[in-house]
This record gives sequence, structure tokens and C-alpha cells, in this order.
Amino acid sequence: MTEPARIVAVGAASGSLRLAAEDVAAAWHGGAARGQVAACAPDEDTLTLAWDAAVAALDAAGLDGSSIDGLWWGTSRPPFGEGPSHAVLANALGLGTTSAGALHAGSAHAGAEALLAAADAVGAGTARRALVVVSDAIVPGLGTDLERRAGAAAAAAVLGADGPATITARVTRTRPALDRYRGAGESGTRDPYDARLFREEIFLPVLREITEHLAAFVPRTWSLPDPDGRSARAVARGLDGTVGSEAVVAAVGDAGAAAALLGAATSLDAAGIVASVGYGGGRATGVVFDALGPVPGAAAIPAALDGGRRAPYAEVLRVRGQLVAAGEKVEMGVPPGSAMFTRGSVEMLGPLGARCIECGTINTPPSIHPHCIRCGAEKFEDVALSGRGSVHTFVINETMPAPFVAPLPLAVIDLDDGARVMLQVTGEADDLAIGAPVELVLRRYAHERGVPVYGFKARLATGSGA
Amino acid sequence: MAVVGAGLIEFGELFEQSYEQMAAGAFRAAAGNVDRGFDPTQIDAAFVATQRGTLWGQEGIGGNTVPSAIGLSGIPCTRIENACPSGSDAFRIGAMAVASGVHDVVLVIGVEKMRDKSTEEGLLSRAAAGHPIYTRGETAPVLFAPFATRHMHDFGTTPEMLASVAVKNHHNGTLDPYAHFRNEVTPDQVLGSPMVCEPLRLLDCCPQTDGAAATILVAADRADEFTDQPVWVAGFGVATDHPYLHEKSTFVGLEATTQAAKRAYAMAELESDDIDMAEVHDCFTITELLDIEDLGFVEKGKGGPATLEGETKLGGRLPVNTSGGLLAKGHPIGATGVAQLTECWWQLRGEAGERQVEIRRGNALQHNVGGRGSGVSVVNILTTNA
Repeated sequence: MTEPARIVAVGAASGSLRLAAEDVAAAWHGGAARGQVAACAPDEDTLTLAWDAAVAALDAAGLDGSSIDGLWWGTSRPPFGEGPSHAVLANALGLGTTSAGALHAGSAHAGAEALLAAADAVGAGTARRALVVVSDAIVPGLGTDLERRAGAAAAAAVLGADGPATITARVTRTRPALDRYRGAGESGTRDPYDARLFREEIFLPVLREITEHLAAFVPRTWSLPDPDGRSARAVARGLDGTVGSEAVVAAVGDAGAAAALLGAATSLDAAGIVASVGYGGGRATGVVFDALGPVPGAAAIPAALDGGRRAPYAEVLRVRGQLVAAGEKVEMGVPPGSAMFTRGSVEMLGPLGARCIECGTINTPPSIHPHCIRCGAEKFEDVALSGRGSVHTFVINETMPAPFVAPLPLAVIDLDDGARVMLQVTGEADDLAIGAPVELVLRRYAHERGVPVYGFKARLATGSGA
Repeated sequence: MAVVGAGLIEFGELFEQSYEQMAAGAFRAAAGNVDRGFDPTQIDAAFVATQRGTLWGQEGIGGNTVPSAIGLSGIPCTRIENACPSGSDAFRIGAMAVASGVHDVVLVIGVEKMRDKSTEEGLLSRAAAGHPIYTRGETAPVLFAPFATRHMHDFGTTPEMLASVAVKNHHNGTLDPYAHFRNEVTPDQVLGSPMVCEPLRLLDCCPQTDGAAATILVAADRADEFTDQPVWVAGFGVATDHPYLHEKSTFVGLEATTQAAKRAYAMAELESDDIDMAEVHDCFTITELLDIEDLGFVEKGKGGPATLEGETKLGGRLPVNTSGGLLAKGHPIGATGVAQLTECWWQLRGEAGERQVEIRRGNALQHNVGGRGSGVSVVNILTTNA
């Protein structure tokens, strides 16, 4: 490695619900429980959180997806057990069809793997600019401690040859023992077999070995893993410097594969040395960042993790697919593997329109418009649709059986480029009105026949651009 | 072309009747209403309107279902599917078959079984059908509610104006022995009913109804074999518009209706002022307001005030939906247009009982609009003027 990879910008996102630990405790064993974790709304998952964080990082860098050479994504559990997870995310972020990268998965260590792989690609010169996204939104096993610990969140970083922060050191240790895990065919992740065994014999020894190495760089701030809500404190006791990841854990819980970078990124809002450790699946990796000044996007991270609507436990179970109505029938007219999806995937994830060469009208989506809806001409050029617009008219559908969730707002939107689309509206919609500004965000439209279906939805623009 | 017979069965949740039994009931009703009697073997061909053949347990419905059910297996018969105007389009096609000289006596029958599947399954099949993103969540009210939102925004149309459509049509329904709902509703009841799809409430929406209706069309030169009071087909028009809502050029009118009306008026050599009464597509209250504007009965944007002020009630300037409309009589899709034509036929012949309107010029208009994006409309005009 000749040139160290630099951090150009960072971003973050969290699930829009918050689950209080006491609500989970009340359902299972009573007892005192403190804190909260971030959870997904029905149209969110690890992929949409990754998209949100990546868009925030790209915006902070002043770049769009087409200037990125590869996507390195780390998540404990990709949305497709086996399938096009990476391709869907890369496409939805606007990365070209020739983009490189990798999907790291299988444990919470995946985030560290993605970061280092991307850094290596930039260092080796095979990618000029790399996008690292780390995200997690696991389904914890019912009744596990993970229900009160594991949170849904994501972080992203744009790496390149220039930027205010450098990755200056790294260290990895392995210890092949069973910690949190999910068996083949199981839907929920399980706690370690013996919490004390895990802590004393696996986690703390490995973490101490790593942090001892990193301490030589005299970090001002640490990002430490906290899988059980107490071990990070135990590790921190022997260290100088502050623990920047504490605020992250308080806001969203243990973000798993996203935790290490999330904790580091939030601390990159000023110059200084930041050390970050990722742990999972019997491996721990420490990384040292040296920031010469604030990294773009870092200061906005607390706001991205803040807030969220406190949701009842039952609602979170419903979203996770752990509470299912009897006889619920969930079948789309068009199977996700069918030709219609194959034809439409790129235009749905683009999202794309077809601009009429004759009259300039943008037809959406292209595949169903061989002739222009305004002038009838048949020559088009594909264009990426604007991600912003305003509401032309709308409805709020109140009569939606499961798997739909009512109230479901739908809006006809005039995009800034003159195209018009009709999409579901996600997020807070109390102020939905004709003329209201909206932005398009990637969300999960359905989860049927075992697979997720993604597309863009409209969200009321906050005005601040956040 | 002359209409010499028309009839329908009582609309409702007809759990006890099969598709075939409903068809037979409508056929007997129409044949029984032919003034000089009707021998079924005179039928040269039949056109059957059934819309949701694949979603309502009617997977096997085809051209051969109805002839067998009415004892006429062997006759030529074709099923017509053209969204909500399926019935009115089957009538138009039947009229053209007679006008072409190929057939002298044609049966047009509309049959729809809406309630053999649960309402929830019906909703889901619609909300999850079509394009996986652009139409996901698009239940039937979603096709019309965006027009209400925009109509209210642009013209100041109020919920009270929408409610006045439901109040009027429910009143008319109390006078129609074939109507699904035969109870009055008050403005407060409409405005207090549950929100279905904002801004439309439950009583802004038509019900899910089973039903069947039939008409008998004959060549003009044979009309007097059947009746001395024929009703003539004066004209018809069909038009299409883009099928997705985001492709609409306007959300304060339905282009398909405007175009279909223009064609029908031109063929009939009539204007909107020449119409004595109309049966129009009121699947939702907003739809009737759009219809009466698009059909030229009132100025664009004035549908709400005109209805609130009673211009379209029984005894008003131009009575609309005297049968109770889709809102009260019901909307068994394939049967709807044919049932509306039956109401027009009765009104023109002075046989509409308590809901009889004054026929001064001898012209009645029937209209449907629907399909994805309300992209298909059919207008038929009947007349007593030879």
C-alpha cells in the first residue's frame, strides 16, 4: 500500500422507530431495563438504511453515485439470504454497471471487513473513489437479550485519495468461539450460550489485546463495541481518551456491523486521532483514523441517529415478521423473479424516465412507454429522474389489509425536471398537501415470497435538506 | 337499432345465486318486458359483459357460459371486457352488430359476481396487482380520490358538495325496487362515515354488489314485431386515456369521458342541452361531479354547487342517476352499464314509476368510465325520436 486511503466524507442513518428496553422486558420477564434501540419501519431494512447513510455521505462529499468506482458493504445479514443484495444497493445509489466492490456478511465483523477492503482498493489504486457502507437491522430471536440491545442503523464513508482523515493503522485478532449466532434455517439471532463465558473468556481478552495496540497511537476518542451493554465500559476503564460510541449506543443500541464505523464517524467532527474497534463472529479489528480537520458529514450524524417514534413492542414484532395474522395472504400479482421485474429493475431503482426526443416529455417508467404519452413519438433518451419535486395531488388510503399498513398516503408528484410519478409517501405525512416539497428515498415496498422488493417512495422534504 | 326489451334482477349481496342463475334472471326479466312477447330462439347472437373474470371466482367465464345458462347453447356469443364500461361497451358492440346487418336480434347481457370472494381479498388483489411500484396500494378509491383532492383545491368543492351526491342518489335508490341500498342517508351521515381514502368517506363509495341486467336490440325495420313503443339507439362514443394516474393531463376531469361524450353527441346530432335525464358513473361521489362537468351538463368546476342546489335531483333541471346510481343501486361491474340503459329505457317509455322524470325532448344519456387510470369511457344515447 503506497498511498493511505483518506476519508472524504461520512454519513449515517437509523431506523425510524425506537423500541424501549422496558417494553421488551415487560413482555418477557418484567425486571428493570433501561435504554432503547432503533428499529425499522415496515418499509425499512438493512438495505434501505445503507442507502440512506450512503446518500448522506455522498451529499456531504458533494458527489453522486456515478463518480464512485465501487461499493463495499458490510452487514451481518443481507436482505436476500442469497441473491442480488449488493447489485440492488449499488444500482439504487446510481453506481455504474461497471462498479466494483464486495458484500461482506455473516457476522457483525462484516463492517470492519468492508472498510478495510475498500481502503485496500483505494490504496492499491484499483478504485479511485470507494464507498463503504455498513448497516445492520437484524431480527433478534424472541426473548433474547438482543431484543434490548441490537439496533437498526447504518454508517457510510466515501474513501479517496484526498480528504481530511487518513486510516493510519489496523490490527486484527481472531478467536474462533461461538458468540451471538444464527443457525441455518433460523430467522432470529441468538444470544451467546453463556453471557459470562463470552465476556470473560472471549470478548474482553480479545478487545484488550487490540486496544493495547491502538493505545500506542494515543487516540483522543474511541469507538468500542458493546454487545451486552456493559463490556464497552469494562474495556474503556483501562484507556485514556473519551468513548465516542457511548452516545451512539444510547441513541440506537448496538448497531452490530455498523457500530464501529458509526462510532468513529460521529467522532470525526474535529481534528484528532480516533480509534475504532469492530467485533463479531470471533474476530476483532481495530482501525486508527487521523483527522487533520472535521470530516464532512460527521457533525450531522447525531441528528441522523436522534429522534424516531417510540413504537409498541407488538408493532416492532409485526415489522420484523415475528407477529403474523392468521390466514394472511401476501401475494403480489407479479412474482419478484418474473420477467416484469427483470425488465423493470433498473428503471425502478434508478429511477429512470424516458425523455421524448420530439417534445421533451419525460415518460415514466420507460419500459411501458414505447410511444410518448404527449406526442406519440417513439424516440427517447433514458434520463435519471430528479430526486426532488412537489405534490400535485394526493390521497391517504385508510383501507389497506395486511401486508399493507394504513394509513397509506399516495401522491402524484411533479419532479423538478418536469417528470411526473405517482408513489407511496413514507414517513411523517401530517403536512402532506398540494404543493408540498418532497424528496425520493429508497424504501422496501414489499417482502413477499421470501424476498424484498425495493423502489422509491416520496418523503416530505424537511426544508433543511437533512 | 331499437331496444325492445330490457330488465334486471334485484341487485345486492346475492350469496344464494350463482353467476348462471343471475344471468338467467336478467335474461328472463328483459324477455318478459318485451311488449308483444319474445321467443328466445329469435336471438341471433349475444354479447356478455363480465369484467373481473379472473379475480372473482369467474375464471372460466367465456362466450359459452351464458348461452348454456339461458337455454340457448349453440348461439354465437362473445364475452366483452372493457373495465367499468364493459356493459355499456357490450351494448355498443351489440348495436353495431345489428347496424351492420349481420344480426337482426341481439341479446346484450351484463353479469358480475362481486361477493363470492371476501372484500379483503378483493382489495388485496387490486392493491398488489399491476406494476410493483407505480400502482402498489392502488385500490379502487385511489383511482378517484386524487381527483377529489385536486377538484377541491382548484374549485373550492367541499365535502358537503360531495355528500350531496350520495344523499341524492340514496334517495333515488329508495324509489328503485332493484337497488342494493334502499335507505335515505343524511349529509351528516355521509360526512360522519369512516374515512376510506381521504378525502373520500365510506358513503362516498359505491358498495360491492352482485347483479345482472339484459337488453334486447333489434334491427329498426323489425322493431314493430316486438313493440309499438321502441327506444332507438341515437348514438354512442368510446374513448381511452392513459392507464396510469401519473400520466393524466388533468386531475379535475376525465379526458376519456369528454372525448366519448363528444363522439356520442356528434353521432346522435344532439347537444348536452337536449338530454332529459342521465345515468352516469358514480362509483364515488366525486366521479359524478366530474361526469356532469365532462358530459357538458354544467360548467367545469360547477358540479359541486349544481348538485348541492338540486339541479340534478328528481324534478331538477336535469335529473341524474334516477335509479340510485352506483352509490345506491350498486356496481356489479359488467352489469352496471346494461342496468343504467334499462333505467334510461324505462324513463323514456314513462315506466319508471315514482322516480319518473319529465321527458320533454325524448333523449337519455348513459355513461361509464373506469379501468386503470379511469382510462376508458363509453357514452350511449337513447331516444324516442325515430
